[in-house]
Amino acid sequence: MPRHALALALALALFTAPAFAVDYVQSTGSSLVFAGKYQGEVFTGKFPGFATRLSFDPKQLATARLEVAIPLATATTSNADYDGELRGNAFFNSTKFPKATYSASKFRALGGNRYAADGTLSLRGVDKPVTLEFTWTPGAKPVLAGKASVKRLDFGVGGGDWADTTLIPDAIAISTRVVFAPL
Amino acid sequence: MPLKNTANEWGSISKALHWLVVALILAMAWIGLTMGDLPNGPDKIATYALHKSIGISILALVVLRLGWRLYAGAPHAVAGTPGWQERIASLTHWALYALLLAMPISGWVLNSSSGFPLQWFGLFNVPAITGKDEGLHELAEQAHELLFWILVALVVAHAAAAFYHHLFQRDATLARMLPRGWLRTNPPDGDA
Repeated sequence: MPRHALALALALALFTAPAFAVDYVQSTGSSLVFAGKYQGEVFTGKFPGFATRLSFDPKQLATARLEVAIPLATATTSNADYDGELRGNAFFNSTKFPKATYSASKFRALGGNRYAADGTLSLRGVDKPVTLEFTWTPGAKPVLAGKASVKRLDFGVGGGDWADTTLIPDAIAISTRVVFAPL
Repeated sequence: MPLKNTANEWGSISKALHWLVVALILAMAWIGLTMGDLPNGPDKIATYALHKSIGISILALVVLRLGWRLYAGAPHAVAGTPGWQERIASLTHWALYALLLAMPISGWVLNSSSGFPLQWFGLFNVPAITGKDEGLHELAEQAHELLFWILVALVVAHAAAAFYHHLFQRDATLARMLPRGWLRTNPPDGDA
């Protein structure tokens, strides 16, 4: 039965194919932004120069891996008065901790093209779990669009005198859109 | 004491608004002149927030004052006041009203153009009246400070005139802006 043989061969090939995800590197058009509140008003900022590496195949989540490097000394809210404080000792302390990293190797499918990465954010010398929920748009240049919420005080960002959450609430919203090119 | 102003005296609403604004202006001058030297941090922010909250309050009170002044009028100058003094006094009063509006508005522009939030005593946010603009910020900062010193000069002149009337003319000009009975005055033809 040649047809059965072919089907068996295909099935075997699929099951035994090496489980390598596709490797991607960040391409132009990507952004990593944050938003919080200050005195009741929303402020936003961005992390220019962040760099993302991703191994991802929706069919092989077990081998998926995400690595993000986030320079802190160039983080900006487009308000020079805020930026000085933001990069200074009380917040990012970017001279001592020039970059943050986010790495994830546990991925979950949330249905459709939605996924969650349960990763670890290393910021200001503190490692804590942070979940990134994202949509994955496949293509020649696939796009990851995700959101996460980070509690700034967990990482000592604006601790001490600045810990007053009526002035700056604890939750900072993170939003990212990464355009990838195959490595 | 009447609520509304009469031909001879200020009513209680005008008196209350006058002295409330005096107290707030004095507090504002003190806060405004010292807050810039505070070390950066949440205390400085709280002090600026207080300055802004009082400033917005003064703006609202002065709008009320002007509305009441236009509705309830003002007493005549006390009898015997020379016409040129009356004109200068009237000019000073309207210049003071204009400054009491210009001070908070220039502060509001200063705050808006620098892109800072404006929260009234932590209760609600007041919208920006201009976009973020560094050039406008510099201009508003200079205007806010210049207007303050003009206000100081006018307030000194205004208060000096009131004391002059009370101490040398011995008339009711000052006493009729105070709660009744606080100051003893002599009749306009006074021969105390």
